Amino acid sequence: MIFSDQEATMKDHTNEVSLTISSDRQFLPLAMSFTEASAKAFGLEKTDALKLTLACEETFTYICSICKETKSLVMKATNGLYYVGVQFLFRAADFDPGAFNLTAQASPEDEKGLDEMGLIIASRSVERFQISHSPEGVSLVLIKEKSYPQMPEITMPELKPLKDFTITSPDPGTLKLFAGQIVHSYPDHLYPRDFHFPGKLVDMVASGEYGAAVAISKEGLTGGGVAWFRSSGKMVEVFGPYLFDQPPRSSAAERLIDAVVEGLAKTDTLFLIVMYATPELPAGYFEPLGTIDIFKKGSPPAAITVYCRQLKEDPGSTVWFHPEIEEFLKKEYRRLYFARHMKPTESAGEARPEHSVFAARFVKAQNTVILNAIWDGVDFADNLDRHISTLSGEGIPNIFFEIDLAYAWQANLIPLLLGREFIPRLVLPYAGEGDVVLFQQRKGL
Amino acid sequence: MFVVPLDSLVPDYVKTFEAYIPSKPDPELMKLYGCDRLYRLNNNENPLGPPPGAQEIMRLFPPPRAGLYPSGDSYYMRCRLAELYGMDPDQFLFGNGANEVIAFVIKAFCQEGDNIITADKTFAVYEWVATFSGFAAKLIPLKDFGFDDKGMLDAIDERTKILFVCNPNNPTGTYWSEEKLRGFLDAVAGRQIVVIDEAYCEFVEKNDYPDGMKLIGEYPNLVVFRTFSKMYGLAGLRIGYLTGSMGVVDVIRRTCVVYSVNTVAQDAALAAIDDIDHICRTREVVNTEKRYLKKELDGLGLETQIGEGCFIMIRLPMSDTLAYRKLMREGVMIRSMTGFRFPNWIRVSIGKHGAMEAFVEALKKVLSG
Ligand SMILES: Cc1ncc(COP(=O)(O)O)c(C=O)c1O
Repeated sequence: MIFSDQEATMKDHTNEVSLTISSDRQFLPLAMSFTEASAKAFGLEKTDALKLTLACEETFTYICSICKETKSLVMKATNGLYYVGVQFLFRAADFDPGAFNLTAQASPEDEKGLDEMGLIIASRSVERFQISHSPEGVSLVLIKEKSYPQMPEITMPELKPLKDFTITSPDPGTLKLFAGQIVHSYPDHLYPRDFHFPGKLVDMVASGEYGAAVAISKEGLTGGGVAWFRSSGKMVEVFGPYLFDQPPRSSAAERLIDAVVEGLAKTDTLFLIVMYATPELPAGYFEPLGTIDIFKKGSPPAAITVYCRQLKEDPGSTVWFHPEIEEFLKKEYRRLYFARHMKPTESAGEARPEHSVFAARFVKAQNTVILNAIWDGVDFADNLDRHISTLSGEGIPNIFFEIDLAYAWQANLIPLLLGREFIPRLVLPYAGEGDVVLFQQRKGL
Repeated sequence: MFVVPLDSLVPDYVKTFEAYIPSKPDPELMKLYGCDRLYRLNNNENPLGPPPGAQEIMRLFPPPRAGLYPSGDSYYMRCRLAELYGMDPDQFLFGNGANEVIAFVIKAFCQEGDNIITADKTFAVYEWVATFSGFAAKLIPLKDFGFDDKGMLDAIDERTKILFVCNPNNPTGTYWSEEKLRGFLDAVAGRQIVVIDEAYCEFVEKNDYPDGMKLIGEYPNLVVFRTFSKMYGLAGLRIGYLTGSMGVVDVIRRTCVVYSVNTVAQDAALAAIDDIDHICRTREVVNTEKRYLKKELDGLGLETQIGEGCFIMIRLPMSDTLAYRKLMREGVMIRSMTGFRFPNWIRVSIGKHGAMEAFVEALKKVLSG
């Protein structure tokens, strides 16, 4: 089965509008009405559209305040089906994205504090943001997800072991039913929270970010299925396979995984990863990468095995490493049979930006947060402390930090992580620009 | 410095296409994987290399000739083939490997909105060239490891221009008999171009295996591909060709790249083409080693798919890409088949006995832990 139709959906340019304006406060009303009108046209409800408009208002005002002279900037609104994103592309030497940290606080005393307060408001009004730096300037994307109704309780259809079945991409109706069957049959740590919102799942699949395949009997009953999510350019996270009332070792599980692998084999995906394997995960398809510990209040930690599967022949690659984890990396690469040319790196007092920025991904069902540095800064250690105390304060015991070994500046941060009781747990091949080391904070352990 | 506006310069079908990255040269791989030998069993090359006559050509090549252009259209080679197969020299077009002639055909017949039809699990280049040129490739699932004639015929629509059949199929080694191929060509009835890729034809000894060359007279829409990379052991020199009816080849000539086959390749191919003895010796090695592998793999309880051609397929109880990395560390390079949409299968090219033994040893080690 080949899923190319789904992949094509996102490329439709009618899902994108853009505006080029000057970084001049006079144009604030224009920037706001651009945001509001496109958010509504792309299907955000009124309150969500207003939140996104507010975030853009604050962001635009902030950009105007840091551009010493008036420059042109581009705003681009994108319809991601289950979200609307607004991107700002601009050139400013003074851009300090520190306010986007989860833990940011600003004092309204001085003017700089006020400007940054705006950015904090912006970052809190949206679900996600992305910040990056390129020769074209700074790109800041604010992402507001649509609101969807939660799934009503379903009555499970009568199921029999599947004899003759085919593996197909589900239509929206089947997909919603599939989500219902999963929620009904599996504990909630074995599927993403989004599955509670069937309409969202349909839109996510239509957007091409998620994919799904189901095993359907001749009578049209769904005996099982699998879903996946393109979590980065090269890595796809697989959920499942999920089987409903099927005998143990049913061939449906293998056929479903075959379908995922065959469907993604000729795309740019390099790796499949399974973070929360169901008991139905067929043997012989995935490699155990290692384990992480997940804590829940009132129960002992659960060791979770993370599995992966490479989709291409490994050409070998080059990674940066900090001497403090040299042994760990060498051992892991040897154990996993990955050929890597390792280059050492350490900070040598070179100039760094003032404020670091972390992105945080929450996995609510697991009480887990995964941090990564998207911007380096001299305040890295303080920022890390602030994050740890905020997250611990919110009762989140599972704190992870990802270091992408494609970037020397990230590898340089390793001693700071180790110094705050983060320990390297897994190497995720090609999970970022290069291999990613997943550190887990030991406080919870 | 300028910023190149790649977003607007690059067509969408190129943006979304994933470039194929060939494996690094042996010394680099050996360094990376820390092995002191490397058996390359991933490209279906001839274990005996080029025939002696062709080797002599290379040894005696006068270096000053490298300063001159080669024959732009492989003149003597075309004359020799015409003689051999009773055809006209103008019915042949040469390319830098059969790989290059795939693009000639697609460029000659497809325009925006057109499509080609082939199998989902076959030599990937037909699909790639179509896709990165902006044409749809309809991929029909194999049936019992073979090309599905009926499925392909059913997929034809008014924008279908070319049907590609790999005979025998790389990687499954299955083939269409003459009867089946004729049935297919009759059903197409000349409406589309049918390409039969016979890259491995010289390895097939079955009586019912069709010789595409002989059918061109009857089916003017038939185009046949052949290569000197496989049986003739000239993969490193890059020379292959296509042939078809005069009218069809006249059209493809317009989109073909001239001067793309170098002088040594042309001379070496000319010296190789008549070496029947080389074919016999190669078949002998391939048949013997296939029997050896079959016995060993049966002994390990592994499912195999062994058909025609100088390669076999093996189904592993583990991820094929993991097996690739583990075998690399043992100094054995095979083709992992996830990329062919065959998860957990590997393809092994037939090599000399020492290489086959090394492969079996390494595989046993990999499977045992
Ligand atoms: C079926 C098939 N066709 C064509 C080719 C390309 O051969 P050449 O080396 O002539 O480009 C190959 C090479 O592997 C092949 O397997």
